[in-house]
Amino acid sequence: MSSMFSPLAIPASAGIGLRSPHISEMLTRRPSAGWLEVHAENYMGDGAGVEALERLRQIYPLSVHGVGLSLGSAQGLDRDHLERLRKVCDRFEPDLVSEHLAWSVADGAYLNDLLPLRYDEEALAIVARNVETVQETLNRQVLIENLSAYVAFADSSMSEAEFLAELVIRTGCGLLLDVNNVQVSAHNLQYDAKAFIDALPAEAIGEIHLAGHATNHVGADTVLIDDHGSRVPPVVWALYQHAIDRLGPRPTLIEWDTDVPILDVLLGEAMWADMLTASIMFNRKQAARREQTTKTRATPIHLSVQSETTTSMPVLAAFAAARCARPCMSVALVSIEEEYHAAA
Amino acid sequence: MLPLEHLQTTMARSVLAMEPVVAANMLTAGKADPLARLRIYQNNTRSSLTAALMAVFPVTVRLVDERFFRFAASEFIRRHPPVESRLARYGAGFPRFLKTIDTLSDMPIVAETARLEWAIAEALDTASLPPRNLAEYDHTDLGLSPDIQLQPSLRLIVSHWSILSVWMAHQQETTVDENITWTRRPERVALWRAGNYVRLFLLDRASFAFWHSLKHGFGLEHATGRALALDPAFDLVSALVRLFRDRLVTDARVASNSPSN
Repeated sequence: MSSMFSPLAIPASAGIGLRSPHISEMLTRRPSAGWLEVHAENYMGDGAGVEALERLRQIYPLSVHGVGLSLGSAQGLDRDHLERLRKVCDRFEPDLVSEHLAWSVADGAYLNDLLPLRYDEEALAIVARNVETVQETLNRQVLIENLSAYVAFADSSMSEAEFLAELVIRTGCGLLLDVNNVQVSAHNLQYDAKAFIDALPAEAIGEIHLAGHATNHVGADTVLIDDHGSRVPPVVWALYQHAIDRLGPRPTLIEWDTDVPILDVLLGEAMWADMLTASIMFNRKQAARREQTTKTRATPIHLSVQSETTTSMPVLAAFAAARCARPCMSVALVSIEEEYHAAA
Repeated sequence: MLPLEHLQTTMARSVLAMEPVVAANMLTAGKADPLARLRIYQNNTRSSLTAALMAVFPVTVRLVDERFFRFAASEFIRRHPPVESRLARYGAGFPRFLKTIDTLSDMPIVAETARLEWAIAEALDTASLPPRNLAEYDHTDLGLSPDIQLQPSLRLIVSHWSILSVWMAHQQETTVDENITWTRRPERVALWRAGNYVRLFLLDRASFAFWHSLKHGFGLEHATGRALALDPAFDLVSALVRLFRDRLVTDARVASNSPSN
């Protein structure tokens, strides 16, 4: 089949989730966004949104994120839905395709929510079989996303991170690390969020998600709700910093699904993710340079050939400031930056 | 330990039934009560599917008020949950479900308006094909009774109630008089997608029969016969010009059963 679109690889920088209130503005303004991600299920029909995405796909690299495949369903995959996903991928030729480590279909009903699995050998065999079916049908690797959870199963014999690591080994799938989901689940189920990230196979992680969550108090229980309805909170930024420290730059998505704000707010969050990553990488290079200098002084006969740093923090900061100063960016964006500087 | 399929069936029933049929000792939630946490999934399912229905049936929401709509939606979700994960297809049975609610038995216009809104939702999710121009066929012999293809998003609805009038009255933000009496008056509605929007028109009996026949592939001759049977003054030329003018014709070709083919 001939390609409709020129290949656009998703860069290891921040993108935004495309939401319907922003489509028209994205088409007319064409703002600087690293890449776009869409929910596959929203583009399985033939409405105006599909036509708009075909136009946007000419401009932006695209990731297709499924929410309804129910990879964890013991009854197996819905072949009709998988076929619809295949058509979406054929139509839009995304650079990345992802789904969730969850189930949402059982007893003939689709629950429109992502429910957790009992992490054991039986579930692993089922999910591995389903992931292999998806990868064979789409003829590509898919990324599997960790879940935000409110309950776990008492009979699980492994952790979610161990389950994902084993899934990677068995199927060759990649991983989508949702940092907000880690924070939500770690708080709700009381485990160490950083240890979860550290337990995942770093080389398999092909994408990161960032989002906000709500905090609900029910009696004595404080529960985090993964509602994707607010800015990325400081605790999630801190966890993201930990992830980037370990993984290096990765394509990072700002997700916002409820109470969707104006486009500039999303773009501002994406820019902050880029700057945070650049800052981490800059500091890492500075540290390496310092270490190298120390070694050179200690052993003067050993010559060091350090390649020039191609990206430095001042350049990125200036670039970001220039993006802020563009007339199309609203004043609100500046205040976002200030807010984060204050929080940091 | 339950097999996974059994466990998921039990969980799904707990989520939809709004009551925990899953045993508490199967779940953990840190120091929290796992059954209380299970309610988050129940609420997520109910509220997200209710929101999906409210987005498809906004005028119906206004007709019955939001609280009643939420109640009706909740019952519908419990009894008829989605069978597939493409939510754009969820709600087809909701108008029929509304007809079964006793409270609405003296307000049949509610379910009928919901039927119109579902047709609008379907049209918005259907392809809009490039329209053909009448002039394109100036030098084409289409035979005596060509097949005329119309936009796939075209939906034709006939109701005993003034559903389009109700729908139109609720398009403004202004409050609609609650004491208004919606009349039992047949309305035949044609609607189709045009870009991001739908176009809606009332049709007379003859035009409705004409469009209906074409939409279902009966060809121009049959369609014209149906229209003339209902209205001997039916003007075929005007009807054809209108179809092209409204960008509804996507193809016209010699009928497959035509002798000239």
